[in-house]
Formats: sequence, structure tokens, C-alpha cells
Amino acid sequence: MTSLLIVEDDELLRDGLCAQLAQAGHSVTSAADGALAQALLESTRFDGVILDLGLPKVSGIEVLHWIRRRLPALPVLILTARDGVEDRVQGLNAGADDYLTKPFNMAELQARLGAMLRRARLPAFGGSLELSASAHQRLRVDATQPQAWLDDVPMELTHREWALLSLLVSHAGQVVSREDVLGVWQSEPGDGAGSNALEVYVHRLRRKLLDSGLNIRNVRGLGYLLESAAT
Amino acid sequence: MKPPGPRHGLSLKRLLLLWLLLPQLLLWLVGGALTYRIALSYAEKGVDQSLTQSVLSLARQVKPVGSGLLIDFPRAAQDIIEQDPKDRVSYMVSSPPGSFLLGNGKLPSPVLNTPPTTGEPLLYNVSMDGKPMRVALLEVNYGEPNSPQRMRVQVAKSLAVQQRIAAGLVTDILTPLLVLGLLLSVLVYGGISRGLRPLKRLQAQLGDRREPSLSALAPIEMTEAPQEVHALAGAVNQLLSAVRRSLGQEKRFLNDAAHQLRTPLAGLISQTELALTETDPQALRERLGKVLSGAQRSAHLVHQLLSLARNEAEVKLQTLDAAALAREVAREWTPRALAAGIDLGYEGDDSLLIEGEKLLLHEALSNLLDNALLYAGPGSVVTLRVRCQDNHAVIEVEDNGPGLSPADLLHVFERFWRASSLPGGCGLGLAIVNEIAHRHGGQATALSVQPQGLLIRLSLPLHNETP
Repeated sequence: MTSLLIVEDDELLRDGLCAQLAQAGHSVTSAADGALAQALLESTRFDGVILDLGLPKVSGIEVLHWIRRRLPALPVLILTARDGVEDRVQGLNAGADDYLTKPFNMAELQARLGAMLRRARLPAFGGSLELSASAHQRLRVDATQPQAWLDDVPMELTHREWALLSLLVSHAGQVVSREDVLGVWQSEPGDGAGSNALEVYVHRLRRKLLDSGLNIRNVRGLGYLLESAAT
Repeated sequence: MKPPGPRHGLSLKRLLLLWLLLPQLLLWLVGGALTYRIALSYAEKGVDQSLTQSVLSLARQVKPVGSGLLIDFPRAAQDIIEQDPKDRVSYMVSSPPGSFLLGNGKLPSPVLNTPPTTGEPLLYNVSMDGKPMRVALLEVNYGEPNSPQRMRVQVAKSLAVQQRIAAGLVTDILTPLLVLGLLLSVLVYGGISRGLRPLKRLQAQLGDRREPSLSALAPIEMTEAPQEVHALAGAVNQLLSAVRRSLGQEKRFLNDAAHQLRTPLAGLISQTELALTETDPQALRERLGKVLSGAQRSAHLVHQLLSLARNEAEVKLQTLDAAALAREVAREWTPRALAAGIDLGYEGDDSLLIEGEKLLLHEALSNLLDNALLYAGPGSVVTLRVRCQDNHAVIEVEDNGPGLSPADLLHVFERFWRASSLPGGCGLGLAIVNEIAHRHGGQATALSVQPQGLLIRLSLPLHNETP
């Protein structure tokens, strides 16, 4: 169970966010302004913050700067009703991990939040990525060693298969491009790790995930996407 | 009062005055100098003639007798030579040249390398006591052949009178010219002022436009103005009518937008009111579903309207990779495509550099994919392509959905035009795409695909490769 702090001044949206995220299994605390949020952050430990930038009294950007000074590792997803490029850049420069423009789709918020929390949890959980493969099975991938467990059963993986799997798991539900994969493989041109080799690795990994509820989908011309029956 | 803008040039009036009157002044000065020189040269010619005659007749009065000279110089001859008492004539006879024989003053010899030819008068200028003098000199030989002697006769006349005459002539000629010039200046000034009056009138007509509404601007009336001002007024009128047209479009758009924004809100309110009175849980769910879709429609519309408004601002183009951007947008839309049961893919170049604004192109591509996913329907195939064709970057989104009729294809880029009543659309998506293409100096076209489907193509200028 993850504990989230939601900082949003609009009551209707705050109420809706709290209810939906609680339904999704998070422990949710809410604050209507920046000062209250700062007080809560000082007294309680949170796994993540959803922060509106347009807050009364203490602005969202100020809260974000304050968080970055005190809690540099705390993942923060900012919400903004402005969609000018300056606002996004300002938020990301101030240290936000991700942003969403209002109004947003609840499913998208959940997906972004999940990815953000997974990335942030890496060091805290002994450096491993976790993903619900299906209603009953869980996939855990070590982030530093070429190891992975499907329901605590170790998987037999080569170094490249493990690197590919970690990338897919950390971006579950999103498309991972070929360039991204070749990037984590740190392959040099001509060492046999080209597009054809990638196909072979994906094929092998797909076989090893058979019956796990996870599937690596080939997205035409774009890359690969890890689908999970659980989400 | 005036903002410290760019420096203003000289006023048209001053410029014209300067260029019309300055040459006149120059002409007047040069004319004066020339007149003086010419008058002086004519006067000198007269003096030379009379001096030559005087020196010849004086030489005739001195007659050689044997080895001596007989000077027959009666009073009358003296009077002839000294005809003007104010304009005194000096004369001197000397033999050998330089040693004074007779005369009424000592006259200097000319500075000569060789002695003058005998019998031919020589004319030269000297200055005596600071006064300019003209001198005629004649030398003659006389005496016995065994002892030849030489006699010099000089007659000199002051040039002061001639200079006075020349100066007087110059004054006589230049004074009326000066008066004429002043008169001309006044006329030129008046003419320029009069000629520039239509410009002043144009300024007054334009400056007087303080109407609260720009759309109320009437065209400028300039019927009897000269051709040049006519052209200017015509150009301003064209600008005004363009402004009026564009304002009219904005007004129509605002009216349409108001309608489009209020309608879903009215629906939302009525559905929510009904939901509050609903007792059957199943019916309540249905009402809430309608509330949700209404709210989503409003949210979508607000987003589109804002992005259209943002489009109006200046676009700053940068070099970017259209193919990479297209793949990025397609990746963002893939989860939604999968959820909708649509096969979304990318084909084409790995990299294609264009001049563009990333956020706007992102918006255009998102709109194209949104449209395709919405209207193509589950099970269809949507393909995004980027390639170089005919020196243009071609970005296209093709689907194999139901497509549009040829008549509908003509309207797809119009604001608020909708081909289907499927929920989710607001009739702005392709209008925005079209707007963005134009902002990039490109264009958007809608085509039918055989056997069925729709293809929207953006053709944008490529990045100019400068070595």
C-alpha cells in the first residue's frame, strides 16, 4: 500500500481524486493549500505527491521547490490547468517527475502515477521492479543484477534479456522504442545487436513469459509494449 | 509624447524645400561670379583697345631726327590721352628702354625673358600704389644704321573704373534675380504645402478613428486626391477591409464557440438534475454515464478551443526531426489505440528534418490520431507515415475506416463542421490541423483511400540545409 498526498484546492477535483485513488488501493491524504501540504509533509512520510500548480497562498511551484530542498527523492506529479510550454518546462525544471494537464483521464493518471512510483521505489525495495503479471502472479526484476522472479521462481535470463525485461517492466503499458532498447544494451553498430537480433531476443523473452499473463506486443514501426492481464 | 521608436527622417516638406531651393541658391551664386568675370573681361578688352591706340599714336608723335628724337606732343594730344581726369592715364617715353625721356609718371618695365618685338604693342598688368593698372608697351628702332637706337613708349590706365563697372553690372543683374528667387521660394513653399495637403487629410482621416469597434472602420474617402495618395489610401482601405473580414471571422467563431460550449453544459446540468431525482440504481448509472460523456466532451472542446487560440500567436520555427516526433506521438497514443482495438503503426523515414514548432506539430499529430482512432472504429488499421516527397516533408495519417464522401471531404477543415454525430468530436480537430499546417507554410489535404478509408496529409517545408 502506497501513501499519497494530494494537494489540490478545487474541492470537486480533490474529492474525486481521493476517492478514485483510494479505490485503486492507495492510502490517500489531501491538502487544500500549500501551507497545509508543507505541514503534512513535515510530519508524515509519503510515497508520492500529486501537486496542483495553481494553489492559493503558497503556490504549487513554491511547494515543489520546498519539497526538493527537504525531500529530494520524493516523487512528485504535477497537475496544471495551463498548457503553455513555459508552464510545463517550469514545473519539470523545478523538479517534478511528471506532469498532467487538466482535465485528464483517470486511467492516464493511474498509469503515470504507477510508473513514477515504480521508478522511485527501485532503491527503496532493494533495487527491484515489481509488476502484477496477472491476478495471481507477480513479476519482480532486480534492477542491478541480471535476475528476475516470476512468483518467486527465478527466471533463466541472459544479460540482454534481463536488460530488455527491466526496460519493458519499468515502462509497462507504454511503448519502448528499438532505440531505447539498443541504448540500454549499449550496443555498438556491427556487434550483432541490430534490429534482427532484437527481434530474436523479444521472441525468446516472449516464450519465457508464456502463461504468465504478460505479453510483449510488437507495435508496428514504433517498438514494443509490455501488456499485463492485471492492468 | 512620441515613443522613442526608430529615428524619423526629414519631413517630406523640408526635403522638397531643400532640394528645390538649394540648387537655386547655387545657381544664383555661380551666375553672379560668372557675370562679374565676363563683365570684367569685356571692360578689359575696351581698355586694351584704347591703350593700344594711345601707345601707337604717342609713338608716332616721337619722331626720330638723325640720331636724336623730335617730340611733337601738343597739348591737344595730351588731352586726348588724359581724356578722363578721374581715370588718369600715365605715359612714359624712354630711350634706351627704362631711362626716362618724358611722361607724367614712371612706369615699371614688364617682366620679360626676351625683349618685346619692335612695332607690336604689348599689354600687361601691373600694380602701382596698390592699384591695378593695365599697361600698353611699344618699342621702336630709330637712328642711323651704324648706331641703332631703341625707344620704348608705355601708356598705363587704372582698372579701378572697369572693376567698378563690372561690380555695378553684377549688382544690376543679380538684384532682380534675387527678388525673383525670393518670389519663387515663396511659390515653391506654397506649392509643396498645397501638394502635401492630401497626405495631411489622409492622416487626419486615419488618426480620427477612435471608434470603440475596429469593425466599424469605414473606408477612407479620397476622391480628388492625386494618384500617389490614391494608391496609399487604396492600400490602407485594403488593410482595413482585411481587418474587418478577420474580425468578422473571429466574431462568427466566437458565436459558434459560445454555442458549442453552452450546449454540453446545459446537457450536463439537466442530466445531473435528473440523476438527483432518479431512484432506480440502473437508471442512475445511465444518467451518470451521460454526465461523464458530456463532461468529457466539454473538456475536449475547451482544450481544442484553447489550442486554436494559442495558434493565433506567433510561431517560432526550429529545426526538428518530424519522423522522431511522429513516432513519439504515436507511442503516446498506442495505449489508447490498443484499448480501442485499433492497430496503430508507423511507416516511413527514420529521420526527416523540417522547420517547425514542436508543440504545435505535436498538437496536429495528436488531433489526427485522435480523429482516426475515434472514427475508424474497432478492428481498423491506422498508419502514421513520414516521408520526403517533391522537396516537402509529407506527414500523413491513413485509416481503413468508413471514410468520407467526396462532398464531405471538401468541408473537413472547416471549423465546427462535423461529418458524424459520434460523441467525442467537436468539429475543431482538423481545423486546428489545417491552421497549424498553414502556420508552418504548408498545407493539409484530405483524400479518400480505396477501397475505403480516409487519409489526411500534411505537406510541410523541409529544413533548408545550409552548409
